[in-house]
Amino acid sequence: MDSTPSFSNDRLLWQDFLAGEVRAFEKLMSDNFRLLFQYGCKFSKDRELVKDSIQDLFLVLWEKRGNLNPDAAVKPYLMASLRRLMHRQVSSRAWVGGEALQEEDDYFDIEFSVEDEYIANEAIAVRSGQLEKLLNALPRRQKEVVYLKFFQELSREQIAEVMAISPQTVSNLLQIAIKHLKAHWKAGFLLFFLLHFLL
Amino acid sequence: MDRYNDFSVDDFVWDDFFRQWALSPTPETDSLWDDWIDANPEMLGKVEQAKAVVLSLRLHEPDISDAEINQVVKRTVGRITEVDEGNLRSAGRRVPVFSIPWMQFAASIAFIMLLGWAVYSVMIKREEKPQLGQQDSMIEESNSFIEKTNTSSQTMQLDLSDGSRISLAPKGRIRYPERFEGERREVFLEGEAFFDIAKDADHPFLVYANGLVTKVLGTSFRIKAYGDSHEVTVEVKTGKVAVFAQSDPHLKEKVEDKQFKGVVLTPNQKIIYARDEVKMVKTLVEKPEMVVSKAEIPQFEFEDTPANEVFNTIAKAYGIDILYDETLLKDCPLTARLDSQTLHDKLNIICKAVESSYEIIDGQVVIHSKGCRN
Repeated sequence: MDSTPSFSNDRLLWQDFLAGEVRAFEKLMSDNFRLLFQYGCKFSKDRELVKDSIQDLFLVLWEKRGNLNPDAAVKPYLMASLRRLMHRQVSSRAWVGGEALQEEDDYFDIEFSVEDEYIANEAIAVRSGQLEKLLNALPRRQKEVVYLKFFQELSREQIAEVMAISPQTVSNLLQIAIKHLKAHWKAGFLLFFLLHFLL
Repeated sequence: MDRYNDFSVDDFVWDDFFRQWALSPTPETDSLWDDWIDANPEMLGKVEQAKAVVLSLRLHEPDISDAEINQVVKRTVGRITEVDEGNLRSAGRRVPVFSIPWMQFAASIAFIMLLGWAVYSVMIKREEKPQLGQQDSMIEESNSFIEKTNTSSQTMQLDLSDGSRISLAPKGRIRYPERFEGERREVFLEGEAFFDIAKDADHPFLVYANGLVTKVLGTSFRIKAYGDSHEVTVEVKTGKVAVFAQSDPHLKEKVEDKQFKGVVLTPNQKIIYARDEVKMVKTLVEKPEMVVSKAEIPQFEFEDTPANEVFNTIAKAYGIDILYDETLLKDCPLTARLDSQTLHDKLNIICKAVESSYEIIDGQVVIHSKGCRN
């Protein structure tokens, strides 16, 4: 993913948007919609709620456009804003419905999967399969960091902004997650080979 | 690149630069990694494994269609242009109200009261739901109406007093008089329904659905007018229907006139009415069916038949118009058996054989051909 050309385009679009151009608003929203939708779905299974949240997000941004930072990095800024908005919404909805909060608060739903077309042999299949299990079992915050870092390709600072934590915390979470993945993965892989040769 | 010399497979898998190369290689990174592997051939196995793992491990991302995105974007743009017009009138009055602490308190109280009212209206006033089409009915209120909502998962059959039958799809809602009186037969629909209307030339039958009026004398057709959709579609199976927008300035005249005015649809044609834009698009239904009776279905077997005659046979069987240049096509002989295909497949086969193409314009098939005489 080469980000340089789209990055500067983003910046121009963002500034046109801040200047109050409806067309820039429309383009900014449709360009980023799929990304935001996919990110939003990590916090709620309700697609309509996610769609409404994105709509609300853009309405709020439009209203506040006079006070927004013209140099903001667009993608992480939008993701961070959606995350805040949805956390508020999900918790207020839970309150109205009288549901327990802790589960909703803990929600970050991603499924990693293994694509067969790249699997050349059994050893790789086992490795990928194991990694998939380990990834899916990570604690919520670690999972989100791994997702943003490796699957959305955000930098440490951008992740910190999106998740509203310090860059140091991002590094720590990432380190713990990767260490955990590597350690368990190796163990599992060794076991596989052992079984493979014994049987 | 030296730091990679003692990397293991999992080190590679979580290395940014390696992932970047594996996922979206460029000529530069390709040559860089190839050179490195040439210098460290013992690493090739690890690199290949790591690459396979990176590539194979994907995220399940939820799907959303472009159309769905477009719809939300359009709606939102509509909202901001609305708001901006409102702002012009009340410029400068915007204060961040909810940052004042007592306002938050007041808002909570208001919210609780609102909640109470909502619960009250849902629990107690359930029966008083506004009736379909009441506000824009053209009917005298003396008549007593029946309103049906299909809450089941199956189609609901309804028989009307004039012998017409309506198949109401699940979630559909319809309102009709117990007995049809007066000059017109009028019903109101929300959702999807198939209508089989009894012939009565003196009493036109009108369906009001999401701003679209469909007028018929006696025919069968389907209307889809879902409350949350911006479009209404009408598909004609038999007979002839006229449709027009309820916002039409000549509405009264069109409703009352014995003649068919507005957009007239014939079998296998369909209209899509976009509510926001007050625009109608006429096209063909997705799977056109033959309109002639079983006994009259022609043999679709052609031997050296001029293409224009083939098109005539098809046009008659499906009750649609096919426009073509006769002088060009009469020199294009066709030999084919076309009895089992859909209309679109038939047209595709013929067009391929005689080197032409077709498109649907305004509910008609238009053949583009350069002729076959060389």
